[in-house]
Amino acid sequence: MNFDLTEDQREIKRTAREFLASRYTMEKIRAIALDGQPDPHWDEIAELGWPDIAEYGILELAVVAEEMGYALAPSPLAAHWAAKLLHPGLEGRGTVAMWDEDGSADPETPTMKALTGVKIAVPNADVADTLVVTAEGGRHFAVKASDADVQPARAMDATRPLFTVRFDGADGEELTGDHFGRAWHAIAVMAAAESVGVAARVTGMAVDYAKERKQFGRAIGSYQAVSHACAQMFLETEGARSVTYWAAWALDHEPEQAFMAANIAKAYASDAAVNVCRSALQVHGGIGFTWEHDLHLFLKRAEANAHAFGDARWHREQVAAALLGDPREPTASAAPVA
Amino acid sequence: MDLTLSPAEEEFRDQLRSWIGDNHPGREPDSDDESFAFRRDWQRKLNDRGWAGLTWPERYGGAGATQIEQAIFFEEIARARAPQMANVLGLTMGGPTLIAHGTDDQKERFLGPILSADEIWCQGFSEPESGSDLASLKTRAVLKGDEYIVTGQKVWTTFAHQSKWCMLLARTDQDAPKHRGLTYFLLDMEQDGVEVRPLVQITGEAEFNELFLEEARIPADNVIGGVDNGWRVAITTLMHERAGLAFALQARVQIALGELADELRGSDDPVIRQRFAQLAIEAQVLRLLAYRGLTTAMKSGEPGPEGSLGKWLWADINQDLTTLAMDARGPAAQLVDDTWTYRFLRARANSIEGGTTEILKNIVAERVLGLPRG
Repeated sequence: MNFDLTEDQREIKRTAREFLASRYTMEKIRAIALDGQPDPHWDEIAELGWPDIAEYGILELAVVAEEMGYALAPSPLAAHWAAKLLHPGLEGRGTVAMWDEDGSADPETPTMKALTGVKIAVPNADVADTLVVTAEGGRHFAVKASDADVQPARAMDATRPLFTVRFDGADGEELTGDHFGRAWHAIAVMAAAESVGVAARVTGMAVDYAKERKQFGRAIGSYQAVSHACAQMFLETEGARSVTYWAAWALDHEPEQAFMAANIAKAYASDAAVNVCRSALQVHGGIGFTWEHDLHLFLKRAEANAHAFGDARWHREQVAAALLGDPREPTASAAPVA
Repeated sequence: MDLTLSPAEEEFRDQLRSWIGDNHPGREPDSDDESFAFRRDWQRKLNDRGWAGLTWPERYGGAGATQIEQAIFFEEIARARAPQMANVLGLTMGGPTLIAHGTDDQKERFLGPILSADEIWCQGFSEPESGSDLASLKTRAVLKGDEYIVTGQKVWTTFAHQSKWCMLLARTDQDAPKHRGLTYFLLDMEQDGVEVRPLVQITGEAEFNELFLEEARIPADNVIGGVDNGWRVAITTLMHERAGLAFALQARVQIALGELADELRGSDDPVIRQRFAQLAIEAQVLRLLAYRGLTTAMKSGEPGPEGSLGKWLWADINQDLTTLAMDARGPAAQLVDDTWTYRFLRARANSIEGGTTEILKNIVAERVLGLPRG
């Protein structure tokens, strides 16, 4: 029993923290996300071996994903990871097209016929060679990006460009295997880990500001209305980190726990990152509401990430279904409430 | 990172599981007195097996178990929905404090009867005017010959009416700064100078008491950890309470969650389902924070801030859980239900007892985040 990273995992974390901090300064992030400069660091990231890090373990993947969130890296790495988990034979760069236009928030019941229709909110499709596309009946296809019509959409989170992708009878290779369940859980954990990173960074920003900023002659962090808000951020960040590492570990070592753990991690971390960013903005006061301040970039990532790969509500319903039964299939033993 | 158990730990878990299976005393009676006797019997059974003082050293009647085995113990108790032991304050606070600060004679005299539940312990810390600001307490202890004469008033004294010994914090130096003039005593409850009055709480029960001390006597031998050193000794007690409690609390939440799931199973109300799932998720957060706390404690030798986080989160969860149970009952929630009405009301104290949520947030803000004191 040891709820701590190994020395190797800590080394990966340290390396990622340093690398990302040196490459993705806030100035550079703004240039890429807001001024449309290309992200120049993919080759270096590939050299570090990060695109294939899930081969070491989902915990290793989570550790790097957390640092990507912490750094707010405007990199297509997360989209690529998701594609690679679903399509282990993927060559080149990938992304995942999973949300149907006018579809529901349930990622498990895509309605698009193979392969004609429109997918929205496809991340980083502009730099992807291959799109992993979900279709009716829970089927998965690999489609060449050049065989689809990829149009930029207006993403709230500019650090992760989104695209609308139209398929008009596109050719696709149907993906097969028994890995999809685990892959989707690993993707949920990856997204949760990113949210943990955002929450950790923003908690630090709020605490630092609460120590510096003086009003009525005192640091605002000495007022309980502010210090207790910061304590709440810390609780949710550490809580999110705990369930996320647990879920990642379960995917590697205790597959029978992994389903529940992954749903729990994505639900809790999604909410935690959004709650932390909202609260941090309040702690910052007016300055936090300005374009010039970096906080809004984190808020937008947290909010967008909360809806990517299944939102908290959907993941909570998976937990409820496991513990209370599926309401669509009432059981004879269902106990009346009260 | 490794959340699996070692072969030895698995063996301990299996032994424990089968023992609890054979010895489970059944459903706890609802009435306070019957429930106390029921828990006392349960504790004696566990103690006969050597498990009442699981982590205490073997020479004091414990099993010398590791903190992980302690965690396993609480999880198995929760899994089997088995009761708590009767002498909970003696086991989680009194004993560990004596083991850390007591003299050999004190350990010899007091530890055995804590384990056997022959002597129940209570805690006399809070006073009517000293709640969160505990160190401002006013109960005075004056040395006269070889005994202290104690006068003052304590409140929220759980189990006082069943107790033989009270862990009493009293002021021995009126002139010292407030944290420095306190001494930690063991007060014999069976004497004329001690009056216990039940304090009826919002549930209608009297689980707590007021304690009136009028020239009560304490032999000087019953000072724990040195005269005027009581604050430090009390902090040890509170740290033990929070660290040891984190697992017990999360285990109790798992039990309550299982009971609530039994009632809600098959519900198609999406709001109830969402709220239930959120509680199951937070209960898992609580459990994992406790495990992380264990790792911190094992590496650094001290409980980490997770102790404060755990108590705080537990209070939030238990209050929300019991509120959800009421909401799920619909109009019937207006009527008394022996289980959930009581629990809904009782849970209101969770964010006050054993350190208010506000104080716990202060601890996190000041000691973990380094924010300035207000």
